[in-house]
Amino acid sequence: MADVQTELRNKTVSDKPSLMNKELDHLQLCQWLTAVATDRDKQAFTRLFQFFAPKILRIAKGKFPNEAQANEVVQETMTNVWRKAHLFDQNKGAVTTWIYTVMRNVTFDMLRKVKSNKEDNLSDDIWPLAESLVTEDEVFVDHIENKKICDVIAVLPENQQQVIKGFYFNEMSQEQLAAHLNVPLGTIKSRLRLALAKLKKQLGESYD
Amino acid sequence: MINHHPKFELIQAYVNGDLPASVSAAIKIHADMCPECQEKILQLTEQVAEISFEKVESDEDMSIELSEQDADMLSQILADAEFLQTDDVVTAEVAERFVMFKGKNYKLPNVLANMEIGGVTNIGKLARSRVLLDEGEIRTSLLHIEPEGSVPQHTHKGFEITLLLDGEFSDKSGTYVKGDFIMLDGQHEHQPVSDNGCLCFTVVNDALHFTQGINKLLNPIGSLIY
Ligand SMILES: [Zn+2]
Repeated sequence: MADVQTELRNKTVSDKPSLMNKELDHLQLCQWLTAVATDRDKQAFTRLFQFFAPKILRIAKGKFPNEAQANEVVQETMTNVWRKAHLFDQNKGAVTTWIYTVMRNVTFDMLRKVKSNKEDNLSDDIWPLAESLVTEDEVFVDHIENKKICDVIAVLPENQQQVIKGFYFNEMSQEQLAAHLNVPLGTIKSRLRLALAKLKKQLGESYD
Repeated sequence: MINHHPKFELIQAYVNGDLPASVSAAIKIHADMCPECQEKILQLTEQVAEISFEKVESDEDMSIELSEQDADMLSQILADAEFLQTDDVVTAEVAERFVMFKGKNYKLPNVLANMEIGGVTNIGKLARSRVLLDEGEIRTSLLHIEPEGSVPQHTHKGFEITLLLDGEFSDKSGTYVKGDFIMLDGQHEHQPVSDNGCLCFTVVNDALHFTQGINKLLNPIGSLIY
């Protein structure tokens, strides 16, 4: 009887440190993320990066066979953690849940790679009735004037200009740009995104 | 009132990030309209995040030095982050986007706002736009049915997901409303009819697609519409 109690007590005591560590981790992660959100604290972000980046990479490697894509998941996810930290609400769940969701959205975005679907055009063409069908191809044409865009691009930071010009005017792929500028693909993507966000803001009213 | 939900296995696969983008999108759209499934997703995410991030190996040291590659990545992120500090970080991620079918404007769910969407093909009271995801045999579309329109009776070799974005339709199994997530396999045969018109997001996996050209030409309605 006494033995059992001792054993129980020992078990409780020995369980406690690991349990507390786990609690501490949550609290710590939450403090770091909050510091990023409120103070744009780079030190705190670095700690988050150290904690999550290797784990995200391990998960991403299981989903994408290609090492570059797995790295892209890490970079995109961590970039979004920085960008969206203010959206985290600790009353709604743990930091881990939030970052996992951010990672899942990044993975989703990478999966829906936009390509023109040639099969689709073919299926419409070979269907005998196609000739009598009305096709309205004008629905999603962007109404951006080139001139205005050039003016706005001219005021972007140099490294964003390079990416925008390479991508839209020289029609280089993001991969080609990464090689050309000797930076990771994720950096090209984030620069492109930054530049586009600014363009949209500048062009605001006329862009819809 | 939403009555049709993705089954549990599908939600689980979604949470684990194992689904193609088209099917993920259908589940996201549904969950945005369905608190019940949203809650399920949140709980499952909590669990999988716990397993993925919290199983800290005993020898793992948090203060460990970053590899050179990781340090590079970190400094890239922080360098680009400089620009964001001057930006309004709260700017909405996604601009609202609308599609027009038969003179009626529909707001697209956020999930679809960034996707490329092809031109509209009309056939009778039906109109279809392809969502241009490059997923091989899986084809994703927006399908619009005008009031009193119907889809000809059909079956699919693979699966067929229909998510009602607006309006209602019914088939012999019942009536469906906005937000309903309907998944059928090749066993089912159905003929949706919409009294007042509707807009659907459809994902179809048809194993016969383009592997048997003659059959396709003989019975092309399904592949044209879906
Ligand atoms: Zn539901």
